[in-house]
Amino acid sequence: MQNRVSKRTLFGFIGPAVFGLAIVGIAPLLYAVWTSLHFFNLTKLRQVEFIGLANYWEVLTDEVFWQAMGRTFFLLGTALPLQIGLGLGIALLLHQPGLTLVKTLCRLSLVLPMATTYAVVGLLGQVMFNQKFGVVNQLMGGADINWIGDPQNAFIMIVFWDVWQWTPFVALVLLAGLTMVPGEVEEAARLETKSWWVILRYVQLPFLLPGLTAVLILRTADTLKLFDMVFTLTRGGPGAATEFISLMIQRVGFRAFDQGLASAQAVILLIITIVLAQIYIRLFYKEV
Amino acid sequence: MRLKTLLCTSALVSLGATGATADGHGWSLAKAAEPYAGTTVDVVFLLRPGYEAIEAMLPAFEEETGIKVNIIKHPYENALGEQVRDFVAQGDLDIALIDLVWIGNFAENEWIVPVEEIQASYPDIIDPDLDMDDFFPLVLNAFGGWNDTIYGLPFDNYSGLMFYNRCMLEEAGFDGPPETWEELKDTYGPALTKDGKYAFALQSKRNETQSADSFARVLWPFGGSFLDDEFKSNLMSEESQAGLKFRQDLMQYMPDGIVAYDHAETVNAFAQGDVAMITEWSAFYSTVVSPETSAVADCVEIAPEPMGPAGRKPALGGFSLAVAEQADDDEKAAAWLFIQWATSKANAKEYLERGGVPARQSVYQDEGLAETYKFIPALVESWQDGVPEFRPRFAEWPEITEIVQEWGTKMMLGEVTTEEGAQEIGTRMEEVLESAGYYDGDKPLAQ
Repeated sequence: MQNRVSKRTLFGFIGPAVFGLAIVGIAPLLYAVWTSLHFFNLTKLRQVEFIGLANYWEVLTDEVFWQAMGRTFFLLGTALPLQIGLGLGIALLLHQPGLTLVKTLCRLSLVLPMATTYAVVGLLGQVMFNQKFGVVNQLMGGADINWIGDPQNAFIMIVFWDVWQWTPFVALVLLAGLTMVPGEVEEAARLETKSWWVILRYVQLPFLLPGLTAVLILRTADTLKLFDMVFTLTRGGPGAATEFISLMIQRVGFRAFDQGLASAQAVILLIITIVLAQIYIRLFYKEV
Repeated sequence: MRLKTLLCTSALVSLGATGATADGHGWSLAKAAEPYAGTTVDVVFLLRPGYEAIEAMLPAFEEETGIKVNIIKHPYENALGEQVRDFVAQGDLDIALIDLVWIGNFAENEWIVPVEEIQASYPDIIDPDLDMDDFFPLVLNAFGGWNDTIYGLPFDNYSGLMFYNRCMLEEAGFDGPPETWEELKDTYGPALTKDGKYAFALQSKRNETQSADSFARVLWPFGGSFLDDEFKSNLMSEESQAGLKFRQDLMQYMPDGIVAYDHAETVNAFAQGDVAMITEWSAFYSTVVSPETSAVADCVEIAPEPMGPAGRKPALGGFSLAVAEQADDDEKAAAWLFIQWATSKANAKEYLERGGVPARQSVYQDEGLAETYKFIPALVESWQDGVPEFRPRFAEWPEITEIVQEWGTKMMLGEVTTEEGAQEIGTRMEEVLESAGYYDGDKPLAQ
């Protein structure tokens, strides 16, 4: 079959995509790698010089970098299970038979949080979680909770917004997985048992695994590069309570202007993301 | 008699209004700008009252000169990054907006043109009434000068002032503001902190506000400083530690979550009557005295910042405008004409009335203005004896301020002690300065 298609045709179809990817993805990556091997400060361009792996060594031995990384994974470990749990619950509810119109409206409304720009979410958060005027404290009976100025509360606030914005995504992916379950198999299972857990575990879950793997990979990558919402909401503060890894890279690269060091941090982050994606695929991904 | 008359006439002419003086020298803005009519100059402005003031005055300049000024607005936090990227990429900006802590960076990178060079290259566009001596010397040197060279003219000028709510103070039995920081903490603090109201708010958000408005503000009055004479950290000195510990003690009289307060939150807390006193930039005067934005407009009074054991040492901050090196010849001339006009003696009064704060000494000699704008006496006093290196102005400040912001906030949150935080800042600060070459003698110890 392959022999019947000429290489020119293949290149004609695939070439533009590869070319586009190379321009917008590979070239900047190669430039970042080149930059990471140099002393490259935007305000000291006369002093640009090749310094080998010195930037990488500085990153790997920088306590602040690993604290930011730890904080980021703590956010991932807190928010992702909540998103999967809530998303699965919503997906199972929407998978129930009947109430077609309501379910359609629910599915449509699930898109809204995802469609909200990250920066707007952050600005909304500033207003809603304001200690004195915010609606959140008002809804809590006029509570006087300092959300933005307290390290723990600020972290909780970030988790809340991340869960609010991305649970619908998880729900929609899992709902798509549930629709893949053959109707006759599910019906047969329901005749065998009344336990929803047994049906979920042995009938539905195998069909959900590819979607779950995608969710894990995408949400991990998204969390590792979470920036806009946190920047507009807390700017990494108070202290370093919400300084996640992408905020730290932005701070080093665009506020201290050390592009070399920031590029080394970004390359290390990329490597961690790729390794995690491979682990997820090996551990969770199974074709039904 | 004729000689006397002539001398008197000459003196009157030289003291006259700009237009008259200019005509006397045969110089006018319109004539000087003729060759550059149709030129467009690009400049970054901030979202602050001083910029709105000059923007409102701009049509007169554009009409008279035919020069178009293209204003690109950014919040403060983005302004440095945007300009650095533009200058590195040889972009479009023809005028540099320079915070006093950016001047060393911009000058050392040769992104800005010295005023002397403009004067030598374009003698025909120099206003005979430019009168550089009329700028407050401290402000001109700190905001526009680096290594004995003047690059920029002071444009948006601030000094730290104490804004206090006279009504709240009187209710608590005080007939005036505290004279010293200790008095503020020990006497005013307990008396004014009650029923959900606080005596004081010190804006301390983790950005330049933490470094400039909070950390540095408690260093200098207590005799501390960032660096000693050899450019080593001075943060572990007894004086610096006294200032930093004072801030920790003072926090009991500030609202919860003060580390999340930026200028907006602080000014708002004062304007809503939740806080009795704040130390803020003069630029926020118009906000707190306007009934549209302040619930306590009638109670607002202004005083110089309190004194510490080492004296008053108020916060110093502000911006200058300088011609960008990357501009072409016509753009450089047009840029200078705009800068010269915006900071001129002739426009200083209107600029002040529209919400700006000029750095011209002559405008503040009008006693009527001091009655209208209550901040003027305190401002003028602050500009007599400020600290130019309130924050070091060298090129390494953007890196150092990030360190101060992080660890200064951690101190306030109690995550580290003032000693631990100062030690960490000092070590990291010295690493930055060492790699910049200050300890090898590669760079002069200028800040």
